[in-house]
Amino acid sequence: MLLLSALACTAVLTSLVVLLTRDNFYASMFMSAAMIMVATIYALFDLQPVFVLIVFIFVGALGIVTVALAATYRFAPGRQISWLWALPVVITALILAFSVYATQLAPLGKIQFALQGFITPEYLLLIIFLTSLTVLLLLSVLKMGLKYKDEEGGES
Amino acid sequence: MQATDISIIYAASFAILLIGYLTAISSKDVIRLLISLELMFGAVFMSLLPLFSAISNAPAAFGIAILTIFTSSGELLVLIYAIITLDRQKKNIYTSSVTIGGDKL
Repeated sequence: MLLLSALACTAVLTSLVVLLTRDNFYASMFMSAAMIMVATIYALFDLQPVFVLIVFIFVGALGIVTVALAATYRFAPGRQISWLWALPVVITALILAFSVYATQLAPLGKIQFALQGFITPEYLLLIIFLTSLTVLLLLSVLKMGLKYKDEEGGES
Repeated sequence: MQATDISIIYAASFAILLIGYLTAISSKDVIRLLISLELMFGAVFMSLLPLFSAISNAPAAFGIAILTIFTSSGELLVLIYAIITLDRQKKNIYTSSVTIGGDKL
């Protein structure tokens, strides 16, 4: 529990630095550190496949692209925050945390990685929906790209 | 997984989510917005962890985790492309330059 608390505190502190720093580059670096801490908590519970997925996809691919973008657009923006918004968010978080703490959950031992059982007809529909969503997202990106290319061609 | 562990995980997850929200509403450029969204997804991943002990079949929890990771990655990739397009068109990345949403059909 001590290790879990330490990891969770580190994740929260690194994400707090993201909020406080004014440099986008450092913000993206600390965001990557927070994501690695989240992934490490998965590894702590012996869920290494999820750790690998988060580190490879989120930190390895998206995190690096974000760091590169932040290093390109590295300037200090001003603040336009209304701290009154924090109050309802904190109250909601406290209520949710208390309800989760009060709920009795069945204790489990070591969690086994068994994805084979996931591919059932029930979840197959979900996977088809996800594939359709991905195709739609990529088509939208392609449309945006082609539209910009057409506009650029029209200007020149 | 004990109830104390789950409470710690949820408390940290809510804290990261709150920080992500605060970063998002205080951001003046879209890069900071992208970073805050990734933080929020990190909080979501953390809150998925108790699912592995809360439901009886672990494969479903793994499936949900994998679907969440891939879906959020797809969304963030589209956002990254949108940022690059915004920079090309508006020559800046300020959120104030985004005056209208959606796409023309």
